[in-house]
Amino acid sequence: MNVTAFNRILTVAFFAVLFILPLVNSDSYIRHISIIAIMYAVLVSSWNVTLGYGGVFNFGHMAFFAIGAYATGVMTKTFDVSPWWGMPIGVVAAVIASVIVCLPVLRLKGIYVILVTFAFTQLCLQIVLNQRDLTGGNFGLVSIPPLEIGAFSFRDFQNAGYYYLALLLLVVTLLAMLWFRRSHFGRSVIAFRDNETYAISRGLPLAKVRLMTFMFSAVFPGAVGSVYAQYVRSASPDMFGFSFLTLALSMLLLGGVGTIWGPIAGAFVFTIISELLTPLGPGRYLVTATLIVLVLRFFPGGLAGIPEFAGQLLKGRSGAAGDPAMLKDEK
Amino acid sequence: MALLDTLLLALKTTFVSGLVLASLYVLMASGLALVWNTLGIFNFTHGAIMAAAAYVAWQISDPKGYGLGLAAGIVGALIASGVMGLVINRLLIAPFLNQKNVVLIAVMTTLSGAFFIENSALLIWGPRIKQLEKVVDGNLRVAGTVISGHEVVIIVIAPLLMLGLWAFLKFTWTGRAIRAVAQNREFAELSGIDVRRMYAVAFATAAMLAGFAGIMLGAIRFITPGLGAEPLLKALIVVILGGLGSIPGTILGAYVVGFSEALSTYYIGAYWTQAVLFLIFIAILLIRPSGLLGKD
Repeated sequence: MNVTAFNRILTVAFFAVLFILPLVNSDSYIRHISIIAIMYAVLVSSWNVTLGYGGVFNFGHMAFFAIGAYATGVMTKTFDVSPWWGMPIGVVAAVIASVIVCLPVLRLKGIYVILVTFAFTQLCLQIVLNQRDLTGGNFGLVSIPPLEIGAFSFRDFQNAGYYYLALLLLVVTLLAMLWFRRSHFGRSVIAFRDNETYAISRGLPLAKVRLMTFMFSAVFPGAVGSVYAQYVRSASPDMFGFSFLTLALSMLLLGGVGTIWGPIAGAFVFTIISELLTPLGPGRYLVTATLIVLVLRFFPGGLAGIPEFAGQLLKGRSGAAGDPAMLKDEK
Repeated sequence: MALLDTLLLALKTTFVSGLVLASLYVLMASGLALVWNTLGIFNFTHGAIMAAAAYVAWQISDPKGYGLGLAAGIVGALIASGVMGLVINRLLIAPFLNQKNVVLIAVMTTLSGAFFIENSALLIWGPRIKQLEKVVDGNLRVAGTVISGHEVVIIVIAPLLMLGLWAFLKFTWTGRAIRAVAQNREFAELSGIDVRRMYAVAFATAAMLAGFAGIMLGAIRFITPGLGAEPLLKALIVVILGGLGSIPGTILGAYVVGFSEALSTYYIGAYWTQAVLFLIFIAILLIRPSGLLGKD
């Protein structure tokens, strides 16, 4: 059996398990954790577009998620727009935000990108906190209208509606990522990461590709943010926060940047680890932080580096797992 | 004439509040600027060290803690910050020094470090807010606005601190060695400079500056584990605006940010100040990607 066929079977099996899970298990706690894990998988996979494939250190990705959630919440709750417009609104808001943050980033490199996108996130937070009348300020935006079809609420049957909606988003995200990797667009993005000067000399438009990378990657957090807001029926300023960003970053690093399955595996494994550590209270964040540093130090390839690492062990070669492309020197 | 008077008063008020803000930002940015301007490493633990130092100072000085008085608290907190800087350098920076992309890895490790320190503070001191004593009591009336003696101390000390930092980097052997390490590590090593030691010195000094900022802040704001989050953001904007490798740039950046904030609060309203600030920030970066006084 060749590798591609094996991968395909694994993919189908993975989604089959996720599809059947709600039919055989109706425990509300497990349902909640699976929904959250699926949402994280979408978020982290799409972050991988800018950070992993693009080599652009966009630390504003979680802001796109929060903006999607807040846009949906404000429009459907305060302005009485139908909840079904929630997702389009969330996506459009996130894409607009991505254009705003991308403009200064177009001319910047390396660490400056991190700092500007990080500042963008924090300033969004400040605006949300200040516009209390619209966003609920510190307390967050509560009682956002849920999705309903006639008498059926997406909350019925232990949130089955939200579960399948999230799963659908994950399937769409995965397909989009597979398309991205093979498309001309995706290859130009990777070309800019690997050798910017050469890519420009071959006639690739840097500004256009970078802007499109940001817009493309912002679609998914916008959509997930919107569904998340409708699922938990609230949006909180924590979504712009440090801890959320660090959590998503650790999923990406743990899973392996610049790979298709790394972020998804990272999201699932990490959500489970994080749930197992809940009894520790704030102590679990200490474990998370330590884990990131250890992964960076000893296992830069993350989970996605394991097969290669194992292969190297079998062949008796020394050295750690392969350097993920993201961690190449940015010049 | 009445119009002129109102205008003059408005100008005076915004000038004073701008000066207070700008001096605060100079103070917040000093430690960050030291590491960023010399070694080119952006230390995200900067804000967390401020919070931790404020907690340590509170623990030592407050009657509910050890009750040893403010002076002991300040000294103790400064020593603790210095040690924290050394530990951060040892665990989060030193192991990655030999990797080419240490600058980017350091972002992620220090971000985790900040997360670690903030949550440790939460575990140790709990969520209840605390406050430090002011260094000087009393208020001062200047141009129709009241500022506290504590703020006057900050206005005076902050620029002096930066001047001292600039002189340290320019004239002392250690300062020059740190800059040499940043410019060309291999050559610095060849001329007998202990590179790892210079990193340790820079990080310890920077952490003590952050600690000092935290202690000053702890008296005018409430001490929470997130005390340093907003200062970190402001410091970040200040050092980027100022430009990499330029201490005068950092000072200029702080005053630009402080006065812009005061003006926009007065004329546009506090609600939109942060958004205005970000617009100014983006506009300057679009025109000068390497900052106001940064070298290209």
